[in-house]
Amino acid sequence: MTATHVSPADRQETAVLPAGVASRAVSRGRRRLGTGLLGIIGLVLVLGAWQLSAWLDWVDADFSSSPLGALRALWGMATDGSLWPPLLSTLQTVAIGMAVSIVVGIPIGLVIGRSHLLHGLTEPLISIMYSVPFAVFLPIIIFWFGIGGQARLVIVIWSAIFPLLINVVTGARNLDSNYLQVAKVFCAAPTLTMRTVTFPATLPYILAGVRQAVGRALVGAIVAELFMGNEGLGYVVQLQTSNFRMDDAMAAIAVIAVLAIVLTRGVAWVESRFTFWSSSV
Amino acid sequence: MSGNAAKLRVRDLQLGHRSGRSGSFALAVDGLDFDVEEGEFIAVVGPSGCGKTTFLSAVAGLVPVQAGELSLDGHQINGPGRDRSLVFQQASLFPWRTVVGNIEFGLQAHGRLDDAGRARARELLDLVGLTGKGDKYARELSGGMSQRVNLARALATDPQLLLLDEPFAALDAQTREVMQAELTRVWQADGAATGKTAVFITHDVPEAVFLADRVLVLSSGPAHLVDSIAVDLPRPRDPALKRSPGFLALSDSITDLVMQQSQPGWRTQSDDRHARLAS
Repeated sequence: MTATHVSPADRQETAVLPAGVASRAVSRGRRRLGTGLLGIIGLVLVLGAWQLSAWLDWVDADFSSSPLGALRALWGMATDGSLWPPLLSTLQTVAIGMAVSIVVGIPIGLVIGRSHLLHGLTEPLISIMYSVPFAVFLPIIIFWFGIGGQARLVIVIWSAIFPLLINVVTGARNLDSNYLQVAKVFCAAPTLTMRTVTFPATLPYILAGVRQAVGRALVGAIVAELFMGNEGLGYVVQLQTSNFRMDDAMAAIAVIAVLAIVLTRGVAWVESRFTFWSSSV
Repeated sequence: MSGNAAKLRVRDLQLGHRSGRSGSFALAVDGLDFDVEEGEFIAVVGPSGCGKTTFLSAVAGLVPVQAGELSLDGHQINGPGRDRSLVFQQASLFPWRTVVGNIEFGLQAHGRLDDAGRARARELLDLVGLTGKGDKYARELSGGMSQRVNLARALATDPQLLLLDEPFAALDAQTREVMQAELTRVWQADGAATGKTAVFITHDVPEAVFLADRVLVLSSGPAHLVDSIAVDLPRPRDPALKRSPGFLALSDSITDLVMQQSQPGWRTQSDDRHARLAS
């Protein structure tokens, strides 16, 4: 998971590495295949052990559920259609939250990063907001916004926008002054410089921020649904656990896991697609 | 413009930097005087740290003029202008653009990236010897190739005055030789470059002699003009010229002159002939 909490001290560096470095280092042919295969074997081993424990009655499958039981429950939810509304609800919350974070976060981050004054003023604030686990704000957000969809959205934005901001600000601050000098010498207008120099030069940081933000947005959405939802995958987990239907709860968790992987991998793909040139960063 | 008016006029020029918070002012160029005629290729040499690059940056409009005159075609320079292009010391190519995209940047910035502009970029791609490499990205290029793109980008806007800031300094010796020959070839071949006036900064005296019509020697900082030496070597010049006695004598004498600026009293061992030429 990219959404890791880190101490403020080394936060500047945690602005996730722009696309190139990490992903390309791993993607060298055989090693990637090797770790991918090993990962699958590890997963199968753990699930197999779990299933075996359930079969041999080492654990009570009513409490622990089992991989096959969860799979059966998942199939049931998919065929009777009860899976889709919560999935769509969670996706919608994440999508709207990310859209707001991106539309607000990127321009603000670029402006803060390019202004010495604004950066000085906002740096500690953003740092604190990023470092404090957003869950501690839940009671206050509930107090302010209630427990409806609006409050869930606030939580998603709250959790997603700060990692994005930090990355965009770092990117804008690290902008190579040589690039700006080229724009200056050729008399490029400020808007053209912003569009054709500042933005593309910062794009690796922006997308790394989006990748981190998507992970945190999903965490925010699920946490919000767990505590105050009446819809969404988090709510399904909460409800089915209270109803003592562990297989259904596990099935919902599996869907959340797949969703998390698809979302972060999707952004990672966009990163490699649009910032393939940035290996030199 | 009339034939006898200088293209670039430098009179009693003073440049400097205000350093940090102390506010003290460090002079980089003081009392510099010379003219550059239309169509001249000028090389400026001097001891390292003498203010050559500051001077070029001022001509590019990146460093403000403190005092004196610095005018192009009779207009005082007070900022970057479309009539000038700079070939950067570091290629400073945009890695997110292809080679052609980089060459086109200046035209795009001027709002001139129409069909003619694109054709001009393609023509320069061929001229600098990068035919077929137009779709490559900066990180796929060697140092020499990057500087070819850097040069093409500067030429694309058809500047009145081309400024080159030690563009070959970071290249290995062999590539540098090739690029010097390439620059003279491109310079002589590019028909569209109307003014064909250039100022080339370098610390490499043979490079200066090989490329230039006239070599200006600056003193150690704050820089003023020590001497202006015409290079009466025939054009077109090819690399073999560097082995000719006339070339060697000239660059030795200019090297002496430069060395005297940084180390007063400096003389070569076998120096009668050199001293005579230098004076």
